[in-house]
Amino acid sequence: MLLTREESKALAEKILGLAKADEVEVSIRSSQNCNSRYANNSITTAGFTSDLSVSIEVTKETKRGQVSVNELNDEALAAAVCQAEAIAELSPANPEYVEPLGPQAYPEIKGFHEETARARSAELQPAVKTVIAAAEQKKVNAYGYYDATARAQAIANRRGLFGYHRSTWASYSVTARTPDGTGSGWAEQESPRLSAIQAAAVGDTAIRKAVESREPRRLEPGNYTVILEPAALAEMLLFMSFSMGARAADEGRSFLSKRGGGNLLGEKVFGENVTLASDPFDPRVPGLPWSSGGFFFGGGGDWLPTEKMVWVENGVVKNLVYNRFWAKKSERKPVPFPSNWLMAGGTAKLDDLIASTERGLLVTRFWYIRFLQPQTLQLTGLTRDGLFYIEKGKVVHPAMNFRFNESVVKLLNSIEAMTPAVPVGNYVLPAVKVREFHFSSLSDAV
Amino acid sequence: MSVTRREFLKGCAVGAAAASLPGMAGWEPALAAAAQPDPIYRSLMAVALETAQKLGASYADMRVCRYHVQDVSLRTQPDLRTGAVLHVPEVDESRSFGFGVRVLVKGTWGFAASPRVEKEEVARIAREAVGVAQANVALQRTAVQLAPVKPAEALWRTPYRKDPFEVSVKDKLAFLQAINEEVRKVPKVFSVVSQLRFRSEHKFLASTDGSYIEQYLQQVIPEYTATAVDRETRTRRERSYGVPAVTGGYEYIEQAQMLENARRVGEECVEHLSAPPIEPGRKDLVIMPSNLSLTIHESIGHSTELDRALGYEANFAGTSFLTPDKLGTYRVGSELVTIVGDRTLPGGLSTCGYDDEGVPTTRFHIIKDGIFVGYQTIRDQAHLVGDKESHACCYADSYDSIPFQRIPNVWLLPGPKPMTLDHLIGGVEDGVLIEGLGSWSIDQQRYNFQFGGDAFWEIKGGKKGRMISRVAYQARSDEFWQACDAIADSRFWENQGLTGDGKGQPPQTNSMSHGCAPARFRRINVLRTE
Repeated sequence: MLLTREESKALAEKILGLAKADEVEVSIRSSQNCNSRYANNSITTAGFTSDLSVSIEVTKETKRGQVSVNELNDEALAAAVCQAEAIAELSPANPEYVEPLGPQAYPEIKGFHEETARARSAELQPAVKTVIAAAEQKKVNAYGYYDATARAQAIANRRGLFGYHRSTWASYSVTARTPDGTGSGWAEQESPRLSAIQAAAVGDTAIRKAVESREPRRLEPGNYTVILEPAALAEMLLFMSFSMGARAADEGRSFLSKRGGGNLLGEKVFGENVTLASDPFDPRVPGLPWSSGGFFFGGGGDWLPTEKMVWVENGVVKNLVYNRFWAKKSERKPVPFPSNWLMAGGTAKLDDLIASTERGLLVTRFWYIRFLQPQTLQLTGLTRDGLFYIEKGKVVHPAMNFRFNESVVKLLNSIEAMTPAVPVGNYVLPAVKVREFHFSSLSDAV
Repeated sequence: MSVTRREFLKGCAVGAAAASLPGMAGWEPALAAAAQPDPIYRSLMAVALETAQKLGASYADMRVCRYHVQDVSLRTQPDLRTGAVLHVPEVDESRSFGFGVRVLVKGTWGFAASPRVEKEEVARIAREAVGVAQANVALQRTAVQLAPVKPAEALWRTPYRKDPFEVSVKDKLAFLQAINEEVRKVPKVFSVVSQLRFRSEHKFLASTDGSYIEQYLQQVIPEYTATAVDRETRTRRERSYGVPAVTGGYEYIEQAQMLENARRVGEECVEHLSAPPIEPGRKDLVIMPSNLSLTIHESIGHSTELDRALGYEANFAGTSFLTPDKLGTYRVGSELVTIVGDRTLPGGLSTCGYDDEGVPTTRFHIIKDGIFVGYQTIRDQAHLVGDKESHACCYADSYDSIPFQRIPNVWLLPGPKPMTLDHLIGGVEDGVLIEGLGSWSIDQQRYNFQFGGDAFWEIKGGKKGRMISRVAYQARSDEFWQACDAIADSRFWENQGLTGDGKGQPPQTNSMSHGCAPARFRRINVLRTE
C-alpha cells in the first residue's frame, strides 16, 4: 500500500491547509513488507504487512510541536494538527531553532525495483526451499530470514518544499549449524533488487562455514593479526558513523575532539591507506535524495539534498556532520549524515591476505558490539559464526570464539592489506588485514 | 467472563507463595469483578476469523491495537561561545492504529496486517494471511501444535491514579527544567538531558478459541543524565538518575524524587570525571539492582527463552547455553539464586492480564535454588518441553508485528535471611560497588558477558570508599551466578524496568522488569576500559 507521488502531495497539501501555525512540515512514510523466516530446516513465521506514518511538525515563533499519526481521515488529521499546535503553544521557545528550507531540487535516485515491491510469500519461497534442500544434503540445519520491503516517502512544508522518493530493499541471511552444535556459519546478501539475491550462494557460504567451523579449538586470548571479512568491518564502522558529528567533537564529547577545544577536522587521525566516502547514488547501496539522519545529533532530518561526500582521505578527516543549526553556529556549510559508507579497498584477494599471515585469525562477523569508551571508540563485542586460525599462510583449524576490546581508531591505523570493496548491507567495504587486534576473553558460544 | 485476582493466583506455578513475595504489598486487584470488554470491535474481528476459517484456517486470531507515545525532553547546556544557558525542549507525540491477523493453515503460520481498520480491509488481510500460510505449507516439517487455553472474555487495565497524557506538557517541561537547573548548580556539569516518556497500548484480541479480550497497558519511563567534560584531557563522564520504568500513572513521577536527587547526581557526575581508573583483577562485586537488573536480563532472561533454546533465533539473536536436556538438573547459580518469570508483578513493564494469544498471565520458576527448572514459553512451544500450558510470554510490539515469545518480568528473589547493603559491603576486603547501566555485551549463547555501569565505588576492608572509573566486569553466566554468596533481604528489593530489548526478524522491541535486591559476587574478573 505505497502512496503515489500524487497521493502524497494531495495529503501533504491537505495537512498544510489545516494548520494555522507559521511553519508546518509534513513527512509521510508508507511501506509494505513481505518476509519468511525458518529454523531447523522448517518454516516458522511469515507475513505480509503494510504500514503508514504521517508526521506533522508545527512551529509558532520558534516554539515547536510534533505529532505522528497513521489514520488519514479528516477528523484524525485535524486532531493531529490541532494537537501539534497545542504542544507548540505550551512549549518554550527553542533556542536552537532553524528556519525551514524553501523549495529544493532533490536529485533523482534510482532505488526502486518493481520486482521487489511485488514480492509475496510465493516469490520468497524458492529461495527458502533451495537453502533448506542444500542444508539437508550436507546434513546441517539451516536458519534463515528473507525479507522484501518497499517504501514511499514524501516531505513537504509551507514554504513550497516537496520531495517524493520510492525505494526497495531485499535481504536474505542464512545461518547453518551442525547437528552436534559445534559448528556455525553465516552469510547474508542485500540488494534493492530481489532478483540480485543469490540464495544458493548465500546458503552455500553459510553451510560451508558451519562445516568448516566444527569442533573449534581453544586459543589463548591476546593480540592477533586478524583478517576481518567485510561484514565484520561493517559492524565496527557502524559505531564510528554514530560518532562523526561536529557538535559532539566541538563540545569535547567525541573521539574527534581536540585536546583543549575544537575538533580534529583536517587532521590525520587514521592510517594513510584509509579513505571513506558516502555516495547516495551508488546503485548497489542507494540512499535517500534528502538528509534524514539528524536523529543521532539531536534533531530531525535536515532535508538537505544529499550528495557524494568524502569523510576520510588517506587518513585525514575531511568532513564532519554539521546539522543546519550547528553549521549556522559554526559558520560552515551543513553536512548531512552519511546515507551509506564506501571504503576504498585494495587489490589483494582474500586468499592473498591469508597467505601473507604468519599467525592470525580469519573473522566472519562480530556480534553484540557496544561502546566501552566513546572518547577512544573502544568497543567490545564477540566473534561469531566462523572464526578460523591461520598459521604460516594457511587456515589450519577453526577457533573458539573470542570477545574483543578494541578501538576502531587503532584498527584503522593498523590495516596492512585490503581486498577490493564489495557491498555489505548498505556499506561497500573490503576485507582487511589488521595487526595487533586485542581479544580479551574466550567465549564458549557457537 | 471476568477474571479475579484469586483466579490469577490459582494459575500461578508459585501462587501459594505469591502473597509473601516482594512487590505484592498493597497490590490493588487490577480486574474489577464486573469488568467487561468493550464490544466495539467484536463484529469486525469476527469478519477476519470467519474469513480465515472459511479459507481453511484451523485457528485464527486478530488484534486491533492503538498505541500512544509521548516523549517530553529537555536538554540544558551552555552556549559554547557566550556561556548563556540554553534549554532546548523536544515534545513528540506518536499515535498509531491498526490490526494484524494470524492464521494456522495445515499447521503453518501466516500473518498479515494493515493500518486501515475497515471491514473490507479486514477480510482482505485475512485472505492475505491465509495466502501467506498456504504458500509456506510445503516448507513445514512438523505441524504447529497449540497448547490449550480456556476462552476468556475480559477487560484488564494497568492500575494507575493519574493519567500521564492528561498532565499538561507545560507542567512536564517546567518540572524537567527544575531538575536540569538543580543538576547544573553543581559547577563543572556541562549538560543535562531529562526525559519523560509515556506509552500506552490499547488492544483487543479475538480468537477462534472464543476469546475476546480488551487490555489497556500504560508505561511510565522517566530518566535524566548529567554530563561533565574535561576538554584538556578529552574526558567525558556521565551520571544518570536511574528511576526504574514501570507500568502505572503520573503519580509515579511525582513520587520518584527526581528533583530531590538532582544535586547528588550532578555532584557524582563531576566526581566521576576525576575518579581514578580501577586497578584491574579478580575482585568481589556488590551490585545494586539498577545494574544487576540488566545482568539478569542478559544472562538469565535471554538464555531461558525456549524459542532461542530450540534454535528459532539462531539466525539473529542466537541460541542458548541452557538447552532442553539441562532442564531440571543444570546448576546455573548458587543455592541462594531463585528467579521467576512473572507477568503479574505489580508495576512490571510486561505486566498484563493476558498475553498476545489470550493466555492468562502467571508466575513460574525459572531458576529454583540455583537449578534451571523452567523456560519462558508460548502456545506453540509448550509441548516441546513437555508442558501442558503456555507461560503466557507471547507479545507483539505493534499491530503489524507477528506475536512471538518475549521475555516477561524476570526477577530474583531477595535473600532469605536479614541482610542489609552494609552487611554485603562489610564482607568485602577488595571489591567494587556498582550502580546503574553502562556498556553491555553478551555472546549469542549467553555464556560470556561483559558489563559496565553508571557509577563505581571502591570497597576496601569492608567499607565503601572513593569513586573510581573505567570499570567493566566480565564472566561466564553460570560461574557468575554460582559466585553469588549473599543477597540483601526484601527491604532492599527494587523493581527495575528495562525498555528497548530487541529480538526477532523483522526486529521487534520489548519492555520488562527485572527486580532484585543488591547482591554480592566473589572473585569476578574486573577490567579497566581504555
